[in-house]
Formats: sequence, structure tokens, C-alpha cells
Amino acid sequence: MSTPTRVKHLTKRALIALTIGVTASMALAACTPAPTATQATIDSSNVALENTGAEVDQVTVALPGSLSNLYPGIEDGILNYNVIASVQEGLVGRDASGKMVGALATSWTTPDATTYVFELRKDAKFQNGDPVTADDVAFSIKEAADAKASPGTYYYLQNMASVAVTGPEEVTVKTKHADAGFLVNMSIAGAIAVTQKKFWQAHNGKIGTSQSLIMGTGPYKVTEFVPDSHVTLERVDTWWGGVPKVKKIVFQFIPDQNTRLAAAQKGDVDIALNVPIPQLKQWQGISNSRIEAVNDLSYVGMIFDQKVKPFDDINVRKAISYSIDRNAIVKNLLRGLGQPASAIMTPESLEPAYSADAAKKLLGTLPQYDFDMAKAKAALAASSVPNGFTTELTYPNTGPQIGLAAQAIAESLKTIGVTVKVSEVPIEQWLATIGDGKHGLGFMWYFSTTGDPSEINSYLVGPDNPNNFTDPTAADIITKSSAQTDPKTRIDDLMQLEKLSADNAVNAPIWWGKSVTYFSNKIGIDAYSPYTFVTMWGSQLFAAKVK
Amino acid sequence: MTGRQSLRLAQTIALRLLGVAVILAIISFLTFALMYLAPGDLVKNLLGNRPSTPEAIAAIRAQYHLDDPFMVQYWDWLRGVLHGDLGESIRMQQPVSQVLADRSSVTIILIVLSFVIAVVTSIPLGILSATRRGSALDRFASAVTLTGLSAPSFALAIVGIYLFAMLLPIFPAYGAGSGFGDQLYHLLLPSIVLAAGIGAILMRMTRAAVIRELDGDAITFARARGLPQSLVQQIALRGALIPIVTSAGLILTFIIGGTIIVETVFALPGIGQLLEESVLFKDLPTVQALTLLVAAAIGIVTVIVDLSYLLFDPRVRARELSR
Repeated sequence: MSTPTRVKHLTKRALIALTIGVTASMALAACTPAPTATQATIDSSNVALENTGAEVDQVTVALPGSLSNLYPGIEDGILNYNVIASVQEGLVGRDASGKMVGALATSWTTPDATTYVFELRKDAKFQNGDPVTADDVAFSIKEAADAKASPGTYYYLQNMASVAVTGPEEVTVKTKHADAGFLVNMSIAGAIAVTQKKFWQAHNGKIGTSQSLIMGTGPYKVTEFVPDSHVTLERVDTWWGGVPKVKKIVFQFIPDQNTRLAAAQKGDVDIALNVPIPQLKQWQGISNSRIEAVNDLSYVGMIFDQKVKPFDDINVRKAISYSIDRNAIVKNLLRGLGQPASAIMTPESLEPAYSADAAKKLLGTLPQYDFDMAKAKAALAASSVPNGFTTELTYPNTGPQIGLAAQAIAESLKTIGVTVKVSEVPIEQWLATIGDGKHGLGFMWYFSTTGDPSEINSYLVGPDNPNNFTDPTAADIITKSSAQTDPKTRIDDLMQLEKLSADNAVNAPIWWGKSVTYFSNKIGIDAYSPYTFVTMWGSQLFAAKVK
Repeated sequence: MTGRQSLRLAQTIALRLLGVAVILAIISFLTFALMYLAPGDLVKNLLGNRPSTPEAIAAIRAQYHLDDPFMVQYWDWLRGVLHGDLGESIRMQQPVSQVLADRSSVTIILIVLSFVIAVVTSIPLGILSATRRGSALDRFASAVTLTGLSAPSFALAIVGIYLFAMLLPIFPAYGAGSGFGDQLYHLLLPSIVLAAGIGAILMRMTRAAVIRELDGDAITFARARGLPQSLVQQIALRGALIPIVTSAGLILTFIIGGTIIVETVFALPGIGQLLEESVLFKDLPTVQALTLLVAAAIGIVTVIVDLSYLLFDPRVRARELSR
């Protein structure tokens, strides 16, 4: 490469201008403003929208990453659920308050604790106009439970013993043992995306690709899928729930956050999911728009691989738990867009047995490791490594806010002699570190789609947990809680599981997340809730104007 | 060209292509080995951050032969390729050939456009700078190329979006468009951004080559004979042609690396983004096919550049074809 030989002939002014130009471009590109201690104000409550009743030609949704496959059994990231929730359905669904409602099933009965009899809709059709048969439903459930066909969903159906067509519009699912949380798995947010048997077989099970697309029963069908570019949904008139107002929903995959922001500022985007917290101010500055924040059932905490020394030592785990200043992290780094977590299960997941406030109170009664560096120091002194140690901590590139928290925790730990080397890695690499027996300290970042109180804690404390925590009582508690039919009693049992985790410092909860979504004020959405984007939200959109 | 010369030419080309094939074989093995050693876990990528049973993990490992010895895995892949089967993309669940066909057009247009933009702007600018050494124009051109060389392409891309998609809304901010005309329009700004860096290199190379020729004995002699300036410049340009073509070939290989960044910033569904994602996912069949494709493209460009010497330089022609 040749280098410019005549820079010395440049006029001073030109050089300065050039330097400013280059520096400005670097600053524009590489800088995200450091979070300040100011609370972000989310102004959703200030915007009163009116439903104009008009039809909408197209709604463009910007997504921060691409999908590789549309079938959640193959790829089950949270964005996959966001896209597919308006295209496919399960047997049941959820309303805005989290209550189970019918989807392809109009009703269900449980003649005994391990049998679910689903009465199917008579008016349900696939997007090609064919009626939905009980055989299609049973077939879809079988495939969802098959680890090879559906590696993304099979685990949730481990407890399923059988599925059978037991009447012209009736499907019966039996479980191996009683499980109060089983029903939610029958929803699209759980594990079931009902598709047509004929369609599945025509493509040899290779569904959800750019060629085969996907066949569902929802109000929108996929008409185009170009990985790394976009997915196009077009409304159909075959849905039992009616015809939605928006004719077309186009999901644009825009991985670069600056480009996503530019597209929204240009007016190319109506909805943007996962607005990055450090960029919030710029997003809020876009005219005729609003930012909606809602608790999104996600959990962030620390995991400790007990197969890796010194994390097999409870005092080491306690020392780290005491070093996490949850309140400061949420207030300053997340700008209030989250809640300090006192447990693994989110308060919202305890609804409808407890309101979110009552749930928070209840979870607060669990043993807590409130931020206290004196206690952290004492715990470390009592451990096998009283003088401290050095360890690694990786966080995924898709969670910059987790990186900020990692730095804060590393700073606290430095004061007691524990050196934490923080590094950002691609999300795929981060996934590989979870419970790999090499990384002792790690983050858990989990989006619950089902909203079931046992979804996350049974993963992090129960059998096959990534902490390599082996305590037979965990499995017993999970089995016992599953058998409870009364929601409150079941939550009492799950509290025992949380207590087991806290007493042994198995996990260190940090925060429960909020999703931050950008909306153009031309578009409104009915009944916005934590469940919105994992349920039939396409049909809830409407043309809006500010009152 | 005599029959004997044609035969020599055919031999030269065959030998070069054989060389490319050997290099491809070596690269395929090295890529396979690097992917094998790279951090990450295909099973985790497939199962996601979810609980999973040991049986399911074992089934996936068996399905993708992850427990086979390294050489067995490589041989399985190679055998498939030699039979014309590039395998199936693990991430996309589609044949790799299909994925490549879907993705190539955007990247090919991007590369061709940016190459053309770079060539038609940089070479004339380089020649002008050389013939007017030290003038205001030369200094200005140097300043511009310095920016092109020193600003990273992701920064240029974001500045480009800000200036030409937002302040002056001439171009779209992102995406590849649909239909050929729309696609060209969508890919113009990314191509300009990609051309900036490589164009700067090409301009400096051209300038240096032309200056060297202008300072050469042949030109001094031509001027001494009283040849008109335009003819003198022609002689100088002809002499500078080989280094210019060589650097043009070189930058074509640089472009391919640049596409990864530009495609990501502009959200373009091309080969660059696919390569990055496939490497991260450990989608081995896709990575192997892409690496071979890129290496083959570079190999063929190099062969073409080498053969162009025969055309441009009678001395090379005489040496290569008359033995």
C-alpha cells in the first residue's frame, strides 16, 4: 500500500478540516454515549392515540438481527417468536393479563391430572384455505416433541406421553406426570406451531426456509423470506378471528444499530423492537413517535459453574453475589429500564395468582444478597481463595447493557482482590460458554416466552442446569410443584426452589428486563402487555392519530 | 499468433489453473482446521439458550458427525465436494448451492459497481496528479485519498448514510431493493463507500507508476526527439499500464473483505454477511463453500492479471510464448 508522500504540502487548514472530518466520522460510528445517571423518561403515557379505523397498507418493523429459519422448532430466538406469533397458532394463547385463552382449541378439559382433552375450532383454516383437521394438530404436536425435527421445542414436551385424535374435532394429550405448567406449552409462545401435515410432508419437514416458507392458521401468511434482508407477511381472510386492519407487515433485518436509527429518523420504520438503551435519547428525538417500555419476562443474572474451581466454593459465590449493586446497575446503567431482581422468576410470571406488586413483595421475602462489600470481603476471607483470584467473564455482543453491568461488577470485585477480565464475544460464542465446564463465571440472559413461573428457575436450578448444581431436592421440588393444581400452592413450592438457589448461592439474580419498543404515532396497538409480541399482535395494530 | 504460440499460451493457462486448484485444496483444509479449532459450539447454536437432554445433544452430535475424528470429517466433506455436492447449510437447512445462488447477486453487483467506480475515478485522477505534480489539484487529490485510506469503511458507511440518505435524501438508508433497477439504486451508496477505500489505493498506485515512467529515460529521450506532449504521455501510460492493472487486480481482492462490513451496515443480504454469520454459527459446509468461492475468484483474477501482461508488454510476450 502506498502512503501519501506529499502530506507536508497540504495547507494547514485542509489538514485540520480533514482531521475533523475523519474524527467526526469515527465519533459518529464508534461512540455510544456513556450512560448518565439521569433516568430515561418513557413518554408513552403522554401520548393519547385515537383509532382512526382506517386500513393500513404496510407496517415496517425493524429487527436488530436476522432469522435463519421461520419454524420455531428449528430456531427459537425471541425474534423468531416475535415474527411467527401473527402467522402460526397453538391450541391455546394468552390475553394481555397473561390468562390462558383458546386459540385453535375453543375449550379444554382435564378429566385427570395427566390428561388434556382439546375441543378444536370448527372454523379454523390454514392460509391456503384448507380446513384445520385434528390430524394436522396431532401431527404438529408430535413433530414439536421430536428432538431431531424440532430441537428448539422438544424439551418443553419431555413430559408428554402421547397425543391422539380422539374425535372429529378433538385431540387428547397425555402427560407422564402431573404438570401444572404444561398447558402453556400448547401455545405458540410455548412449543406448538400448528402446521398442515400435507405441507410438512411436501417439504420433507424442511419448513421455514426461504423456499418452503411456512404454513399456519393465523391472520398473516408469509409471502417472502430473504434471510439477512426481510420477511413479508400479508393478511389473509382465513383466520377465525377476522381480518386485521394492516394489509402487510414487513420485518426488515437491520443489524447495525446506527443504520436502524437512521432508517427510523428517515421515516422508513413504524416499529422497532429492542431499542438499544444507550441510544434511547436519539430514538426519543424522532418526531411523531413514542417509546413504549414494558416488563418483558426476561431475566439477567450470574451463573457459577460448580465444576470449575473456585466456584465450587459457596463462599466465593456469596462474595460475588454481595458485590453486585443491582439498584445502581438498574438506575444508572439501564436508565431505569428494568427492575432489580430479588429472584429468578419474574413478578409478572406469578400472575394471575399474585398481582405484580404482591409478587414483588413475596419474592422479597427470599434470602437476599444485597450489595455489601464488607460482607463480600468476609465471605471471600472464609473461602478457599481468601486473597482473591483471577477469572474471565464474557457477555454477548447483542447485550451491550450486560457489558456495562459486567464492568461495574468487575470494579466492585477488584476492591476485594478478585480480578475479572471482561470481554465481549459474539452471541454464538457466549452460548457455547454456558455450562461448558471451563467458564466458571458467566451471565444468564433468558427471555421467557411462556411466562410460566417455573420456566427459568427449573432450567437454572433443576436437572441439566448450566450451573452444574446437583441437588436431588431440586428435582423433587419441581415434580411436587408440577403436581399442584392450585396456582398459589404451586408458587409456594417454586419459592422453595428459589430458596434452595439463594441458600446455596447457585445463581445471582441481577435484573428483570424491560423491552423498549419504538412506535410511529401513525400506528397504535391494542392491549399492549408483556405478552404482546409473543401473541397475535398483528391483529392488534391499528391506524392511529394523536388526540 | 502461430500454432506453436497458441500451444504455449494454452499450456501457460492450464498450468496457472492447476496452481489455483492446488491452492484451493490447501485452503479448504486450512479453513476446515480453523473452523474445527475455533471457539463456539454448533450444538449450543442449534439448541439455543434452553435446557436440553443429554440424549438430544448426543443425537445432534451424531447427526452432524461431530464425534468423528477430524480427518474423517474432512474426508467426508471433500468426498461430497468431489462428487459435486457442497452439502447442506446447517443454519439455513437448505442446500449450500441454493444459499449461494440466493446470496451471490447482491455481492456481485456490489463488487462490480464499486470496482467500476474506483477504476473510472481513481485512474484518471492518479494520472492527472502525476502529470501535474505539486499542483493544487495534486494536493487536493492527495488529501481526498488520505481520507479514503484512513477512514475505516464502517465509519464511511455511517457518514454516507447520514449525508446522502438523511441530510440529502438521495439514497435509501439500507436494504438491497427488489428488481434490477431498484437494486442498482439501493447498492449505489454502499458501492461508493466500498470504492472510497480501494479507490484511494488505486489512485496512489497509478500516480506512483505514471511518475516513475515520466521520470524514465525513454520519456526524456522521446521529449528530446521533439515528440508532441500527447504522444509522450501515451508512451508513459503504456509503460505504467502493468503496475496499474496489477494493483487493480489486487484491490479487487481487497473489495471482497470490505463487503462483510458494508453489507452489515447497509443490511444487504449478500455473501459477506453470510460468511460472517456462518463462521460464528460454525456452519461448516457453508463456510467451506464460501471460502472456496472467494479463493477461486481471487485465483482467477490473478491469472487474468498475469495473462494481461502478455497483451500489454511485448517483452513478456516474447519471453513467455517464444521459448
